[in-house]
Parts: sequence; C-alpha cells; structure tokens
Amino acid sequence: MDILEETRVRLAELFSETSTVETPVADETGQEEVAPRKPGVMVLDSARTGAHLDVLCSPDQVVDVAQIMDGNGFFLEAISGVDWIDKQQLEVIYDYTRQDEQNCRVMTRTFISRTEPALPTLTGVFPAADWHERETFDFYGVHFQNHPNLIRILLPEDADFHPLLKDFMP
Amino acid sequence: MGTENVPSSIVQFAQLDKLLNLGRANSLWPMTFGLACCAIEMMCTGGSRYDISRFGAEVFRPSPRQSDVMIVAGTINKKLELAVKTLYDQMPEPKWVIAMGNCAISGGPFKVKENYNVVEGADKLFPVDVYIPGCPPRPEALLEGIMTLEEKITGKRRWPRVHAG
Amino acid sequence: MTVPVNLRHDETFVLNLGPQHPATHGVLRVKLTMDGEYIVKAEPVLGYVHRMHEKMAEAGTFAQFMPNTARMDYLHALAFNHGWALVVEKAAGIEVPERAEYIRVITVELNRIASHLLWWAAFLLDLGGFTPLLYAFDDREKIIDLLERVTGSRLTYCYMRFGGVCNDIDDEFISGTRAFIKRLRSRMPRLYHDLVTHNIILIKRIKDIGIVSKEQCRRYGATGPVCRGSGINYDIRKNEPYSVYPEFDFDVPVFDECDSMARYMVRMHEMEQSLRIIEQALDKLPDGPVMGKAPKMLKPEAGYYYSAVETARGSFGHRLVCDGGKNPYKVKLRSPTFSNLSLFGEVAEGMLLADALAFMGSLDLVIPEIDR
Repeated sequence: MDILEETRVRLAELFSETSTVETPVADETGQEEVAPRKPGVMVLDSARTGAHLDVLCSPDQVVDVAQIMDGNGFFLEAISGVDWIDKQQLEVIYDYTRQDEQNCRVMTRTFISRTEPALPTLTGVFPAADWHERETFDFYGVHFQNHPNLIRILLPEDADFHPLLKDFMP
Repeated sequence: MGTENVPSSIVQFAQLDKLLNLGRANSLWPMTFGLACCAIEMMCTGGSRYDISRFGAEVFRPSPRQSDVMIVAGTINKKLELAVKTLYDQMPEPKWVIAMGNCAISGGPFKVKENYNVVEGADKLFPVDVYIPGCPPRPEALLEGIMTLEEKITGKRRWPRVHAG
Repeated sequence: MTVPVNLRHDETFVLNLGPQHPATHGVLRVKLTMDGEYIVKAEPVLGYVHRMHEKMAEAGTFAQFMPNTARMDYLHALAFNHGWALVVEKAAGIEVPERAEYIRVITVELNRIASHLLWWAAFLLDLGGFTPLLYAFDDREKIIDLLERVTGSRLTYCYMRFGGVCNDIDDEFISGTRAFIKRLRSRMPRLYHDLVTHNIILIKRIKDIGIVSKEQCRRYGATGPVCRGSGINYDIRKNEPYSVYPEFDFDVPVFDECDSMARYMVRMHEMEQSLRIIEQALDKLPDGPVMGKAPKMLKPEAGYYYSAVETARGSFGHRLVCDGGKNPYKVKLRSPTFSNLSLFGEVAEGMLLADALAFMGSLDLVIPEIDR
C-alpha cells in the first residue's frame, strides 16, 4: 500500500463512514463548493492543486489529524490563515508533507468563527507549530489554546491589530 | 547634519578645522549595519571589485561608538525603529547618515496604502545627509554617495564627476 | 563542541544578541540566558524586518507581486521568482515554452551558486576569516554580470513572467557562462578547498558543532542543506520534480554527520552540482520562444494551490488561495529559514556562545525571508 492510500485510510477513520466523501478529482476545488462540503478526506489532482489529499475537519480534530500525520512520518510545513469575511469565518490550513522519496502533500483545513477564533494547539505534536501558530495569531488573532508562549512574533509587542484580516486598514 | 551641531568654541581654528575635515572626509568609518537587500550591495562595495578602501571608507565598525557614518542600508520597520534611533544616538559627533536605497529614502516599494509596519524613510527618525536612490543602488552609486558626503564635509570635490553617456 | 555541563538555572544572566550584530546577518535578535559562557536558553526574536509581503500580495494583482518575491530572499531571488511563477501558472493553467524553462533553470542555478558563495563568505567572516570574502565576491561578481546581462538588475531580479521569462539569453551569455563554469571549477579545489575546507582552524571550529538530528529536522520542518546535512535525502528538485529538472543528471549531496561541517560540505558540493545542471542545460538548450501565451489579466479559478521550489536555503512554498478575482485572495509564504531557525533554540541549549554563532552561521539565515 503506498503512502497516499495508507494516509487516506488512516485519516478517513477519523470521520464517520457516511461523511467520508470520495469525489473524483479536480471538480471540487472551487471555493463555492467547499463550504457545503462535509468533513472528510478527498483525493486531489496533485498536478493541478499541488496537494494530494484535502482533509476538511472540525476544529477539535486538528490535533487528532496531526497525531496521525506525525505517526506516519510527515512534517508540518506551514500553517496559513484565510479570512473569509463574507461568511464571517476564518479558515486555518495546515500543510503536511514528507521528507522521503514518497511524495505526498496533505492539506488539512478547518473553519472557525471570525469573532472569537480559537483552535487547539499542535505544539504538543510538532514543535514546528510553535512559531507558525504564533504567526497565525499575529496576523489573524487566532487563539491557540494551551500554546506555551502565544505572543507576537513578527509585529511589535505592543501592536493591537491583526493586519491580515480583510477589514483591517491602517 | 555634520559638524554644525558641535558647539563652536570661542577660539576658532579655521585652518585646523579645514584640515580636520579633510581627514574626516578621507577616512569615513561606516557602521556595519545591514538591514536588508541593500546590505548585500554594501558588502559588494566593500569587496575586491569596487573596493571602497580607495576612498578610505573600508573600516566597517560593528560598534556605533567607533563609526562616523551610518549607512542605512535597508528597510526600517516599526519594531526596529527604536533600535536604529539608539544606534544613531550612540554615534559620537561629528556623524553623518547616508540613506541607501529607496526603503531608507521613503519606504520605497513598501510605501503602499496598506502599509502597517514600515517607517517611510530614515529621515523620519534622524537627519540624513546623502540619499542614494535605487532598489538596491549599484555599488558605484554608493561610492558616488560617499564622494558626495566627502564633498559635503570639505566643501570640495576630490574626484572629478563622471557624466553618463 | 557541546560540553555536557550542569547548567545552574539559578545563576544566569540575560544576554541580548542583536538586532544589530554582525553575526546575525541582518537584524535577528536572540535573547540568550547564559550561565557563564554556556547558553541555558536561546530565544530568537523575529520581526525586525517584517515587510508585509502577504498583505501586499492580497492588495495587488498576481503580476504586481512578482517584484516582492525578489525582495524576500534577495540572495536567491530568481528561485523565489520561479516559485511564484510556477504556482500562478499552475492555478491559471498557463503553458511555458521549453526554452523558457531551460533559461529559468540556468539562471536559477547560477543564482544558487551566487547565494552559496555569499553564504560561504559571510560564514567565514563570522568565524573570523576575512580573506575568503574577497575570493567569493570575485567569483560572485562574474555571476552577477551574467545575470545582469539578461535580467537587467544585480540583486533583486524580476525576470520571470507568467508564461516564460522577459528576455532571451544571447551567445555572449552562453559563452560567458561556460567560461564561468571553467573558472569556478579551476578555482574550487585550490582557493576554496585547500585554503578553507581543509584548514584545521575551520575544522576545529565547526566539526561536531550544532548537532541537528534527523528527527529534529522532521519535527521542526527543516529543509534544504540543513536537513541534507543531517542525512535526509530531501530536495524538491528530485522529490517533487518541477520545471525541467527531471531532464538533468545531478546528485543531491547528503552528509550524515549532522554537524555544521556537514552543512558546509552540502553547500560546497551543491555548487558543483549546479554547475553540472547549467552545463547540461546549455548543451540541450532548445530553440523557440521564451514567452508563452498568457492573458494580460489573470483570473484563476477559485481554489487552493500549492507549489514548492528548492531554494538555496530549502523548500519554499506558496499556499495560494484564489476566489476567482484578479487579485490573489491569500498568499501564504512558507519560507525555509523560518522553519530552519525554529530549531535553533533547542539545539543551542548547552552550547558555548561562540559555538552557537558558528552553528547559526551554518544555518544560512536571510532575515527578510524569515520575517517576510
């Protein structure tokens, strides 16, 4: 079993059978279809999107996903926030990939409320998450619960704004 | 800036001042202070090809207390602002500032509507003597900036000006 | 060497390194808690040259972000150009002519050598050797002249376009590049290796210093020469081939020692491999246009796109989110040194201060790329 299939199966176990959607590639990448998508694992066309698996999970599942990825030898590449201001939601994307010849990129996404954004921290699983989470806090104000040192990383300590929110204007 | 901030003594030594200025102009010690991209061009100017030591300015000092000229080579942002100001204050008089590159002149490419973090020009913090435009300026431009500063200190241009074309 | 000492946490003092410090290559600040000469805790403080690239990306069009990419990692600017061009081409489905991809590879690899040469000069400057800087800059100027000929600038290139490159290369560039390959190969053994690599002072200074284990690399997401110096064979050019890299025969230097010397050796060997790639690319260079068909105003389909390139410092990725508009909705810049530096605190613990600086130099930091 190659690593893509193995990871997909392991991740799919997190979601109940009914909600696991296996849609054919490429026609579900659009933003319009994303919101009504049920949580689950989806195989993507990697030549077009650059990722092999797209995992949409609920905020309390991000640590479980991270543990699976850690167990399967992946590393955390980046954490990005996206401000969907029209839907009053913040999206946080975790990118995982591998350091061996088996190329497999996994994109994990979760949606949180824009007014009180909070997520559990991944620092217990990947120490790399420390700085990435601080950066996401800096830019979007996402509070990572139980983060050991959630302070500003790029902006001055006394900054009172989150610049990458779409409605921010200096 | 330059010497005019030094309180003049009652007894004047016009000829001695001239001599001192000539000495200062030909041995400007810049501070090793690379902020961003322009710092690499500053290093190139110090390298063997452009050889800044032809103009007596090769003694890069890591400490502000030993340097005469601060070459602001890069972007100053709000977090760094205080540190740069402190460094300037720590330099002994007489002291000069060269704003190298567009960021140090005006914020350069980062002077945008959304700017939330970049200080728009070193002259917002302290007086600047010479502005060198470019993103980044070529080493030749930095050399020309140093010669312009020499001219400012002594009142005379030592090297003939080369006109393009 | 990391000496196992019983660090006395009650008798420490705080030492501030930076933001203006010659060994931090720019404006990195490290808050060090010291017990004498030994580091108890090292905490890098970032953000002294944060320049809002991600915000600017959202404010402008796709093409308007291209100059910004060169100002992130100014030492390997063309790879950053390339990364942005690749992700947008992926999103918008733009075809690139083969000749353009070859030219991209040639210029990116030349730029990689220039970056490694500058790292070499600055690293040795940190360790107290000034002379190597003069040699390295001598060779680097040759590359800059070549690149200036085709790109028009010396450092912050904006050479790539969506669908190709903006200038074709000419015969003088090709002959100049061949001459440079010959020149660097002849200088490498004597000036670089005999003078420096085999120098006992350097070996004593960086051997067994800054041990980064394989597992640490994975947990912190370290890439590039840092992970290849720890025995991980991970190079995006091989593992996730992009552009025309699969057509060239080159090796990925991997060293298992995990120390600063291993990272040093990886970079020295990478220069030779880059020369090999350039040589093959010049030999195989196809004819044809250097610009493909690309619409003036790009409006990629809404969706999520990711693309990574191998820069001189590691894997640089763009996470691009499009909403179907003419501006990128979100661009996340995954910079390699941000992750590479994040392991500094853990590794530097218990090290001598002077060794920690040698270790920091071996990470090859470019601060504007960390802060973005």
